Amino acid sequence: MSSFDPNKIADIHRHLHSHLPPEPALRVKAIESLLVEKGLVDPQAVDAWIEAYTEDIGPKRGARVVARAWLDPAFKAQLLDDAGAAVAEMGLQGQATGHLKAVENTPTTHNLVVCTLCSCYPFGILGMAPAWYKAAEYRARAVRDPRGVLREFGVDLDESIAVRVWDSTAELRYMVLPQRPAGTEGLDEDALAALVTRNAMIGTDRDLSPEAA
Amino acid sequence: MDGVHDLGGKEGFGPVNRAHEDDPYHGDHNARAYGLAMSIRATRAYPIDWFRHVRELIEPTDYLTRPYFDQWLQTAMALAIDAGDVSPDEVASGKSAGRVSVAPLRPDDVRRAVTTPVDFERPATAAPAFAIGDRVRTAAHGHSGHTRLPAYARNATGTVLAHRGTHPLPDAEARGEERAEPLYTVVLRAADLFPEVSGNDEITLDLWESYLARA
Repeated sequence: MSSFDPNKIADIHRHLHSHLPPEPALRVKAIESLLVEKGLVDPQAVDAWIEAYTEDIGPKRGARVVARAWLDPAFKAQLLDDAGAAVAEMGLQGQATGHLKAVENTPTTHNLVVCTLCSCYPFGILGMAPAWYKAAEYRARAVRDPRGVLREFGVDLDESIAVRVWDSTAELRYMVLPQRPAGTEGLDEDALAALVTRNAMIGTDRDLSPEAA
Repeated sequence: MDGVHDLGGKEGFGPVNRAHEDDPYHGDHNARAYGLAMSIRATRAYPIDWFRHVRELIEPTDYLTRPYFDQWLQTAMALAIDAGDVSPDEVASGKSAGRVSVAPLRPDDVRRAVTTPVDFERPATAAPAFAIGDRVRTAAHGHSGHTRLPAYARNATGTVLAHRGTHPLPDAEARGEERAEPLYTVVLRAADLFPEVSGNDEITLDLWESYLARA
């Protein structure tokens, strides 16, 4: 039973700080060995978590969703209305897609997603968040200086393009629907999906290339 | 709580570091820390906002400097110690004093979990107080417990963009209580929040009804 007592937790953290090896790899090893011995953790379950987001679940899923929205206006309408249901229809439902929202870039608006309080991310559809998304620099600056952050990613936004930053403070998860690049008429879903970058679906990339990298 | 986790708008942070951005775990031990943390969390289905609050309670210097999944693992260990599944002495000695009574998560459970969205919506108990387009003011102060109104967005006036149904209030959930409230997406003007910002850029937040008052 959890105590829900913040003072008790702060004491536990101080204890862990003092008694666990400070070096991250040694720390992980010490904890895994203790927890397996205690029967609290099955190491094969640990493997299964790692594998799920190494091999199966990643940004290619989100790219397929974007490509389909570019090709199919009815699907795009459904995606913007209820992204969780839309991705489930493609068999891509997963963790953090239950309250998924897709927000659309237009010629005059740019969307950027952040979680300033922790690291909320639609990982069921985009995979593990990149390290920078979880780091203090991005979390601190994305709401206050989004245009400066975007310039660091090579996106120099004209003043006429309005920025809307989505701070993920609840269980809603946001993905950006980027604009389809010109010169991609005639490409099929797979070819279009290959043009969609992970960062474009977070909002730190904007003008996608009409040719796959 | 007014902790270092509440990073939005804090100044002094340098450029975004894009190293390893396409490597999901950036290091085998980080991958292991992730899988361990997820496995520990699932043994007792700890409420998500209790997990978040326990992470926020990590010592500030550790919060800002230790690797991300290392913090998840420390948080999961704190949950397990608090719940009585692991003792502080076992951590100090590295030796088990006995097996736990709970069943560990199995690989099949993991495969099910990664394809199953969690529905956080709760039945509505009252009509929402605000409608789309209403002007609202956010709370002027936080409190010492867990909350999801970031400090930079306190005491600010904005507009209701959407009503998102009824969701458990994180502040209550992190105290072990369930209290569901209407949840709204509220849009604020960045220029109203930060003195050096001008123009029409906007920030949206997902905020519970008790964080808001009519403006």
